[in-house]
Amino acid sequence: MGHNAAIRRFDAKKAGQPLDLFESASRLPIVLELLSSPWIRRGSQVDGPRRVEVEVPVVWDAERARPCSFIWKEKRYVIDALVQQWAVESLWWERSRARSRRCFRVIARGGVYDLAYDRIGGRWLLVGVVD
Amino acid sequence: MSGFVHLHVHSTFSFMDGAIPLDGLIERAKQLGMDACALTDHQGLYGAIRFYRKARAAGVRPILGAEIVVEAAGVFGQEADLPPDARLPSPLPVGSARARAAGFHLTLLVRNMTGYRNLCTLLSRAHLRAGDANDDLGGARSVVTLADLARLSEGLIGLSGCTNGEVGASVLAGIRSRARDAARRLAGCFAPGDFYVELVHTMTPESQRYIASLADLATSLGLPVVATNDVHYLKRTDAPLHDVLAAVGARSALPNPYGRTNAELYFKSAADMRRLFSSYPSACDATLEIAARCDLDLGLGQFHFPGVEVPRGETSYSVLSKMAWRGLEERYRPVTPESVRRLQHEMAVIEQLGFPEYFLVVKDIVDFARSRGIRYSGRGSAGDSIVSYVLGITDADPIAHSLLFERFLNPSRRQMPDIDVDFDSARRDEVIAYIYKRFGARHVAMVATVNTMTAKSAVRCAAKALGHKADTINAMSRHLPWVSARKIRDVLATYPECRSHPLRDEARHGLLLDLTERLDHFPSHLGTHLGGFLITREPVDTWSPLQWAAKGTVVSQYDKDDIEALGLVKMDILGLRMHSAISETVELARARVGADAVPEPFLLPHDDPKVYATIAAADTVGMFQLESSGQRNLAMRLQERTFEDIIAAISLFRPGPLEAEMIVPFIRRRHGLEPVIVPHPAMGPVLADSYGVIVYQEQVLQVAQGVAGFTLAEADSFRRAMTKDRSREEMESLHGEFVRRSVALGATPEVAEEVFRQLQGFAAYGFNKAHAACFAVVSYASAWLKTYYPAEFAAAIVNNEPMGFYSPRLVLDDARRHDIALLHPHVNVSSAACTVEHDGRAIRVGLRGLHNMNSRLLRAISDERALRPFDDLTDFLRRTRAEVDAAESLIRVGALDSLGVTDAGRPPTRDEQLALLPELKAVLGREGSAGERALMLAPSQAREATDLSHPSGWDVVRRLGAELELTGLAITCHPLELAAADLEARGVTWAKDLARCEDRTRICVAGVRERAQTPRTRSGKRVCFLTLEDHTGLLDVVVFPEALQRSGETIVKHRCYIVEGVLQNNAERGIAVVADIVRPYIVRAPGGAAVRLRRGVGTAPMGPFRGSAGHTDEEEWEIAGREQDAKVGAAER
Repeated sequence: MGHNAAIRRFDAKKAGQPLDLFESASRLPIVLELLSSPWIRRGSQVDGPRRVEVEVPVVWDAERARPCSFIWKEKRYVIDALVQQWAVESLWWERSRARSRRCFRVIARGGVYDLAYDRIGGRWLLVGVVD
Repeated sequence: MSGFVHLHVHSTFSFMDGAIPLDGLIERAKQLGMDACALTDHQGLYGAIRFYRKARAAGVRPILGAEIVVEAAGVFGQEADLPPDARLPSPLPVGSARARAAGFHLTLLVRNMTGYRNLCTLLSRAHLRAGDANDDLGGARSVVTLADLARLSEGLIGLSGCTNGEVGASVLAGIRSRARDAARRLAGCFAPGDFYVELVHTMTPESQRYIASLADLATSLGLPVVATNDVHYLKRTDAPLHDVLAAVGARSALPNPYGRTNAELYFKSAADMRRLFSSYPSACDATLEIAARCDLDLGLGQFHFPGVEVPRGETSYSVLSKMAWRGLEERYRPVTPESVRRLQHEMAVIEQLGFPEYFLVVKDIVDFARSRGIRYSGRGSAGDSIVSYVLGITDADPIAHSLLFERFLNPSRRQMPDIDVDFDSARRDEVIAYIYKRFGARHVAMVATVNTMTAKSAVRCAAKALGHKADTINAMSRHLPWVSARKIRDVLATYPECRSHPLRDEARHGLLLDLTERLDHFPSHLGTHLGGFLITREPVDTWSPLQWAAKGTVVSQYDKDDIEALGLVKMDILGLRMHSAISETVELARARVGADAVPEPFLLPHDDPKVYATIAAADTVGMFQLESSGQRNLAMRLQERTFEDIIAAISLFRPGPLEAEMIVPFIRRRHGLEPVIVPHPAMGPVLADSYGVIVYQEQVLQVAQGVAGFTLAEADSFRRAMTKDRSREEMESLHGEFVRRSVALGATPEVAEEVFRQLQGFAAYGFNKAHAACFAVVSYASAWLKTYYPAEFAAAIVNNEPMGFYSPRLVLDDARRHDIALLHPHVNVSSAACTVEHDGRAIRVGLRGLHNMNSRLLRAISDERALRPFDDLTDFLRRTRAEVDAAESLIRVGALDSLGVTDAGRPPTRDEQLALLPELKAVLGREGSAGERALMLAPSQAREATDLSHPSGWDVVRRLGAELELTGLAITCHPLELAAADLEARGVTWAKDLARCEDRTRICVAGVRERAQTPRTRSGKRVCFLTLEDHTGLLDVVVFPEALQRSGETIVKHRCYIVEGVLQNNAERGIAVVADIVRPYIVRAPGGAAVRLRRGVGTAPMGPFRGSAGHTDEEEWEIAGREQDAKVGAAER
């Protein structure tokens, strides 16, 4: 099987649906390939020019408790899938370095982006571009 | 299906790894509409019983459980034997004290009573197997074995655990084969369907992969999954608290040592949990199924007595009955009809309530003590019972003192009786050993106490987590008073002694203060109750998890309230040092004057006027329950003349009577300053002893009986109802009932109303007379001994320290004021303890309390001296091999004075001995021997003697300073004696002269600090009660808030003061100085040399004081606090 062939073969179904990549055993090859793929990383771990931290406007889907689109560099990115979400709470005892974020790894316009809602600042940030 | 039940929850009883108070947990579960909730604390069921009770009361179904540490299941052999890439790092240790263990976690939930008993046994076996290993960080300690788990899993449901479970940790580490093996083996320990793979979504980047892998694993093994949130705090905002606790629990600073990177382990709503596990709805459904299967009924309200063997053909009642009637003949000669009636009645009630076994257990234990000559005394409401009296459990005659059985056992309320017995502290271990032997080690355990955080400990906890250094942490906590943590900011802002406290820097320490406030009352560790023993018929580990206590005894994880709730028998085998002191006084006195000359003090008739004169003169230092400054003040006003007066004194100086302002009318009516008026004639005889004032709880019962015709059982229920917080409707109902029945008996409505008003005012504040009467027996014995054998009594008190209200220094100062000489310790004369010499006119201070002394040296001195006295320092060092530090202390305190001779033809001075000491030790160490006359050869570099008229060569200031530093005692003289001239020149009035001064005169006094207590007043103001001492006596100083603002820092930071103020000296209020200002005073001898009080007189925060007026160890703290409250009441009046 070729490199990332399983991923390429995967039908993401309707646009806008989250990719429940980890839902069942039948998708295990995809999961395994994703996890072993070097381009899957946490936004905060990405070094060099691909790591960004810019404030972006985000449209929030309250019903499903997830972002549905964001605007970056004057382009609107409709989120096709929510890949992963996690939370970060650190250094709360150091006011200047404290971090309290809810992060979302999303797929939009064919790219993977890490969005974070900064609870301290009350703003949305684009913290990683993995493309 | 909707809804969710949290099955993995850590409360504050996970000790440093959980930040959820139980009340908050239950309230939150109710708020979120969850009708059940589990509690799964680390390594135990510490909070389980109180959670069970509170949850049921709140309508939430409690699910009990625990997160245990279990041995590895996925590998064979040791983890260390695996190849490095197959090893799993061991999770950090969890659990409290000796229940602490490092290993993989497993969550267990109790389905039913079998499961509960199995879990208790499982935990106990793990904890007790750990033995007394001293690897503080855990290791293999307190780990449940798979064999035990398999054997004891009936009635339990197992969840595979959080990310620290072996299954979860293997998945995280990518070792799927191990995860599979572990899950399979763990599941094999449980019945089919009783093991679930636990899915925890920790909201980390790895979570989805983690959950997917676990779900896949569960599917492949045919195991069900269940969702939990490994809850450690109620809300996201509580996460910092948990981080702080976890850091301190792991003995490190922040960040959280468990690697928790977010604040998601909170008590999420069902909707949140279902959303989080939207891909695994069955995992959420499983929580509901499990909750439905967990149906534990602990059967609260039933009693479970330990087994008592009775002869064939007998019952526990018949055996008890025979003992009681035999005892009646011994106690009452002749037996009176009243005593017979009373015993018949009590025995009938005891049988009706099913308590004969309980009495037999207590009787068994006290019989043992009596047979071994171990002094003991029963106390508490048990004194209300003639059965207790005739069985020899208590010593106060309930008929003579009008004590009512219904106050002890109310036939209409089936409640476990509670008989507290105090034993001679020095011999309590013999009683304990007997209990273990008698009931079997598997049936006895000590009762736990849960120690919670106060301001001091919370500050230390928060500061450690925030990474402050040890010195800084000490500085932060040192001068903080004993207050609750949530008051820290208020204390720092208003307490004068905190004026320069480092924590007042809000900008710098604001976060620390926030955390401190929020840590208020969090359990910090499990302690051991000082005297509570749990005794069960079945093995005790089927009722309660057990673990090792720090002092090497086996302790239950439950406290006394939990034990009582479970209906188990708890016996308080308390140590009372006063018993030890009384025994030792009798022994010393008999050694001096002969065994026949000193009667047994507990058997004395209570009618010696000389004893009452001693008490009435407030000469009560050392006396049980009568010695505190408040009691001395009361004695001056009360002028005790009878045993009933002692009972009254003990009862009146209690928070309740003081709060209800009973003392003033009691004193005024006693001295004829106001008439004795009672609203109803039936109250006259009932309240005759207390001059118409309702002082005792027993009187409330009698009044209700006499006026409204209640039975005594009804009257006790009435009293209890009035004592508790009642709603207005309930109080109205009580009121209506009382008035209706009073009027029916012929009282006018106005009189009935007035009686009810008085009962309402006093019922909640009255004191249990039986308790006071039992204490009064001991008080009288101690007063008698102090009156007739003051030297022996003072020596015995000091020998049994810590005890009582006063320091050993003050007790010996008091002896000196009774013309008893104090002799400094000497290696050729002193014993380890204080002894009496000169036919009772002198006390020789013992060597035991000397700084740097050790038991080996004490033994060596005793053994060698038995052969022959020591000749000189060389001889002493050679024969005892005394350590340099100890020898130096002995020299400095004068224990080697006058030994040997120098080339000057006189004994060496202390300086000469000190100069020679290192050389002698070196010679002895090298060759094992030194010249016979080493002192004649050597002393060269010694300081010049400052007073050659004394054999020590030291002047009085140096001698006194050394005594205070090394023994804590002022043996040569009281420090203020040296400064007498200076103080008199400053216009100071001595303590002994205060009684002759006019009331309300301006006065100046000086004294060394003994105590500084600062109870809160009802008005919220803070008053300091200073107990000072000069060489002529004790001084009581009241520092009201305004003066305290000026003087608070002085009081806390200094040891000796000059106080200017106004004297209060009248019959109603006694003698005290109301301070205007308290100034520090440096004690100087006429030559100008300062006396360093140092160890002899401590500085400490104002507040309750460890060790109080001769109470049992258990009561010390409680009473100290109460006495402060009481003092405030007295001062305010």
